[in-house]
Amino acid sequence: MMPVRHALLILAPLGLVLAAFFLVPVLMLLPTSFGSYVPGSGIAKGVWTLENYLRIATDDYYREVIWRTLGLGLGVSLASLILGYPVAWLIARGPASWRVPLILLVVFPMLLNLVVRSFGWIVLLANRGLVNNLLMQLGLITAPIKLMFNLTGVMIGLTHIYLPFMVLMLVAAIRNIPRDVEAAAATLGSSRTHVFLSVTLPLSAPGILAGSILVFVLTISALVTPRMLGGPTYKVMATLIYDEYVQLLDWPSGSALSFALALMAIGIIWASSRLARRWAGMA
Amino acid sequence: MSTLTFEALGKSYGDTEVVRDISLTIREGEFVSLLGPSGCGKTTILRMVAGLVEPSRGRILIGSDDVTRLPPNRRGLGLVFQSYALFPHLSVTENVAFGLRRRKVAGAELDRRVREALAMVRLATFADRMPRQLSGGQQQRVAIARAIAPRPRVLLFDEPLSNLDAQLREEMQIELKRLQRDVGITTLFVTHDQGEALTMSDRVGVMARGVMQQFAPPEDIYHRPATAFVAGFIGRPNRLAGRVVRRDGAGGRVRIGDRVELAAAAIDLPDGAAASVIIRQEAIRLAAVGATASPSDAPDRVPGVPGTVLLRSFSGARVQYVVRVAEGVELVAETGSQGAAADLAPGTAVSLNIPPEAVFAMPPEEPAP
Repeated sequence: MMPVRHALLILAPLGLVLAAFFLVPVLMLLPTSFGSYVPGSGIAKGVWTLENYLRIATDDYYREVIWRTLGLGLGVSLASLILGYPVAWLIARGPASWRVPLILLVVFPMLLNLVVRSFGWIVLLANRGLVNNLLMQLGLITAPIKLMFNLTGVMIGLTHIYLPFMVLMLVAAIRNIPRDVEAAAATLGSSRTHVFLSVTLPLSAPGILAGSILVFVLTISALVTPRMLGGPTYKVMATLIYDEYVQLLDWPSGSALSFALALMAIGIIWASSRLARRWAGMA
Repeated sequence: MSTLTFEALGKSYGDTEVVRDISLTIREGEFVSLLGPSGCGKTTILRMVAGLVEPSRGRILIGSDDVTRLPPNRRGLGLVFQSYALFPHLSVTENVAFGLRRRKVAGAELDRRVREALAMVRLATFADRMPRQLSGGQQQRVAIARAIAPRPRVLLFDEPLSNLDAQLREEMQIELKRLQRDVGITTLFVTHDQGEALTMSDRVGVMARGVMQQFAPPEDIYHRPATAFVAGFIGRPNRLAGRVVRRDGAGGRVRIGDRVELAAAAIDLPDGAAASVIIRQEAIRLAAVGATASPSDAPDRVPGVPGTVLLRSFSGARVQYVVRVAEGVELVAETGSQGAAADLAPGTAVSLNIPPEAVFAMPPEEPAP
């Protein structure tokens, strides 16, 4: 075992950067979140209130945005998992010559700017966009389907952007499964499907969990894509926080929402790591 | 229980032939080892039998069924891996039950057969553990129980003992042999350890570079090696450059260096040819010059080869000597660590008694200069 002193030394550079540029600003926001916003004059001096937090818990609009954000996180995680698993499996278990091209293919979108990628989806998904035009010309629909400024659009955009993270996590997990264990199942009478369901899938659970947590946390805190594909009206927590700060100048509300979002993320990571520990106990 | 037959079985990767036209039949209930250095093709053969590698040529038959093109799950085999390959997410019981469930065994019958298999490998009390809570030896025993529980037609072992420490390995050799005899399942055992192959097997197939060198009972492999490779691979050989002096039936006389001439039981070369002379270390008897060797020690006294002890190394049960028999010719001789021959100091003049059965003259591996 490494002495604690050495471990702390190794952590020190990153720890200092995080403390200075993340922890301190966040803690400075904490008092703000208990402040009171007076329209026209800013934050009232010497007034402390729980009202910002109470509003998040009780106001129907805020609650809708919170549920929408969580639902979006869950949806994007699931969609990435379902779309990503076969690709990850092919990268991990397919022909060796496919591996590098496939990984490049998966990673390639990450080389493009987020705004460009989101804008690309606007071109595709808009009312007079490529998808609707094509469907109408084929005579499959008569009026454009609403693909943007709603859940569909935001989910498509975010799934596209966060899929690579899921795939890379899954590839690592699947490559970690010894091939002998799968071969053992086969010699014991398992068909290819049964080998997958009874061995490969359960043994890749840690990767599924890690990938899902990552995509979930990235999704619920995403700003640019929901902003562009959700438009000004279809809001998630990140865009709501942005508006509170920049448009309404209501810093106390924005701060309270930020803390609520951070707490939700921490809570979910905590719960999943407990779950992971229970699974890891088996794997 | 079935026979296992290879008919001109071969495997190539591109232009590289890793297994060349192997034909043999393993009898019902027989324990056969494939022995050879790494890369000799023995594991490829085993994986072809298991259905994990597709043969390039030839056929594999279990009993009279041609299984060459069957997927692994329809071959009815048990395979034990070097890496154990237990299902880490399943308990010992569920690991053993895995193959039984695939054969639609259920309920009380399932419980009974899992218990039976675990009892056979003496792990009955570990049924509820997870694999990671077991030692390497215990994990390998679970893997063996898992393989035999569905009563496979053929059992395959892929270097199953190589990851265990020496003492445990010897225990497991005996245990495995006993287990195999009790259940009577036809067994193919792949190993690079000659001790393992010789102790456990009814017959041993020695392989090199994809070619079956000799397929015979252990005694024949040891005493009557069919090729230079086998002679040099089995036992503890001295390997010396020499020349064939005179052929006489299968054997004859060989010369090492300028003066040392020995009788050899097997010579695979014409008169006068340069040879690689192989002398088994453990067959050489040595005695200090002047010491009276007991008459039973050498019934038909051949005149000994004189030499000088250069080095003695003691390893418990055995003692090894490096003996110089002529200028530039050194031999390693091994003896038991008890008795007069066990305690010869460096510098002692000795007489070496080298029985012809332990001397083989084979074509040199590199062309003679």
